[in-house]
Amino acid sequence: MSDAALEVEELHAGYGDVAVLRGVSLSVAAGAITCIIGSNGAGKTTLLRAVSGLVSARAGRVRAAGQDLTNAGPEAMVRAGVVHVPEGRRLFAAMSVRDNLLMGAYLRRDQAAIRRDLERVYETFPRLAERRHQDASTLSGGEQQMCAIGRGIMADPRVLMIDELSLGLAPAAVDLLMDALRAINAAGVAILLVEQDVMAALDVAHAGYILDRGSVVGAGSSAALAADPMIREAYLGAVQA
Amino acid sequence: MLYLQVAANGLVLGGLYACIAVGFSLVWGVLNVINILHGSFIVLGSYLALFAYQVLGLHPFLAILPVAAALYAVGHATQGLLVNRVIAAPVLMTLTLTFGLDLMLNNTMIVAFTADYRRLNLETPLGVLFLGDVVLPGDRVAAMALALLLTGGLWLLLRGTRLGRAVVAVRMDRDAAALMGVNVPRINAVTFGLGAAMAGAAGVLLALIFPVSPLNSGLFLGKAFTVCVLGGLGSVPGALVGGIALGLIESFGALWLGPEWAITISFMVLIAVLALRPDGLLGRRGYA
Repeated sequence: MSDAALEVEELHAGYGDVAVLRGVSLSVAAGAITCIIGSNGAGKTTLLRAVSGLVSARAGRVRAAGQDLTNAGPEAMVRAGVVHVPEGRRLFAAMSVRDNLLMGAYLRRDQAAIRRDLERVYETFPRLAERRHQDASTLSGGEQQMCAIGRGIMADPRVLMIDELSLGLAPAAVDLLMDALRAINAAGVAILLVEQDVMAALDVAHAGYILDRGSVVGAGSSAALAADPMIREAYLGAVQA
Repeated sequence: MLYLQVAANGLVLGGLYACIAVGFSLVWGVLNVINILHGSFIVLGSYLALFAYQVLGLHPFLAILPVAAALYAVGHATQGLLVNRVIAAPVLMTLTLTFGLDLMLNNTMIVAFTADYRRLNLETPLGVLFLGDVVLPGDRVAAMALALLLTGGLWLLLRGTRLGRAVVAVRMDRDAAALMGVNVPRINAVTFGLGAAMAGAAGVLLALIFPVSPLNSGLFLGKAFTVCVLGGLGSVPGALVGGIALGLIESFGALWLGPEWAITISFMVLIAVLALRPDGLLGRRGYA
């Protein structure tokens, strides 16, 4: 697993008395798009929160950039290049699009590189360039997701973890975002995508994991997962042939 | 002409009220902490200015920055060492904590400085300003100008700098701010420190106008509270509008009903605002 950008081993996490993750292991290959699929309550969001340090891990390990980063906290994760784009976008209201994007570069000091990446985000998402001085809370859902992903890019990540990319968005916006994801990945950023739209997720990803009640119950290449009859029945809503 | 004079007095007072309130509003808005210590921080700032002038001969206008820096350190330590431990608890918990700390600080000041009212009398005051028929003491006008300058400076810091963006981001969404790599406990401490620094600076300016005593802390806290509710919590412009509104209300209230009614009127207006516009005159916003 030397080519893994992010490795999670036997991770346990939860809230209060509730155990949500019960020993999750997965690996995000450098330069690839990996997706996690699973039904509501499977633990997908908690997994990302435990990796990024918003929730503390009770057992297990998180490794990235050759370091053990288990419970190192969100700041250390961002410094190690593991950046989490949270569910629901979570943009900073009352701040402009530009200021939201600059918040993504909070830990970076190289002003020239920050400006260059800002222009890159504007090139990727021209809508954001048009609306750069607008309050981020006035954007449409698709534009907000562009801003959230752009904010993640501004951190100059090695691994971008995106939670529920397509939730509540129009199909056209989802297509545009998926294309952007491919472009970001082609530029060398590994992506871990949590997605309820299983078809779209397997379409964009190279590999996938299936999470069910806090455990990994299946893994493989996207093509293999998409062809698996059990997965087709459970997640793709296909009629049994 | 009388009305112009009263309006001018109200504006001068209002600028100072804005400065009193803006730090309190910042801490309340960003940290959701009602900082009962704020009034005592203001009084501490006044004493530091008083002693700096009497012992070192430092003019209060020159004492603003060092006093603000000293109060920043006190505020940063208070949040970092104490308030951060209970920051996630309901607001009543942090209110109780700052209330207890305020009792300690205020009573320490009473023991150390006595409760006597002292005056900071400048040996060379700036004289009197004549604007048409309006007459204003120069020191008051300069104090108001500096108060507005400090308030504007805080606004620029919050809107235009990386640190300020982090403070606003923590206010809007602490989890999302953490995901940007923001060290939220440190930003909490910086925010509380900035609030205390503004209190200290306001205290320096108020020493030129009001007598100095630990007994005034409750009065100043009340002003801060009223201004925040009047203008709308959580923004610098809100504190500015609320401060000027309170200054004008008190000045005209004193004219029409007598000076003894000033505080009663301001609280009656407060109740009216709470009933009619609970989010304040400018509404509840981020640090816009």
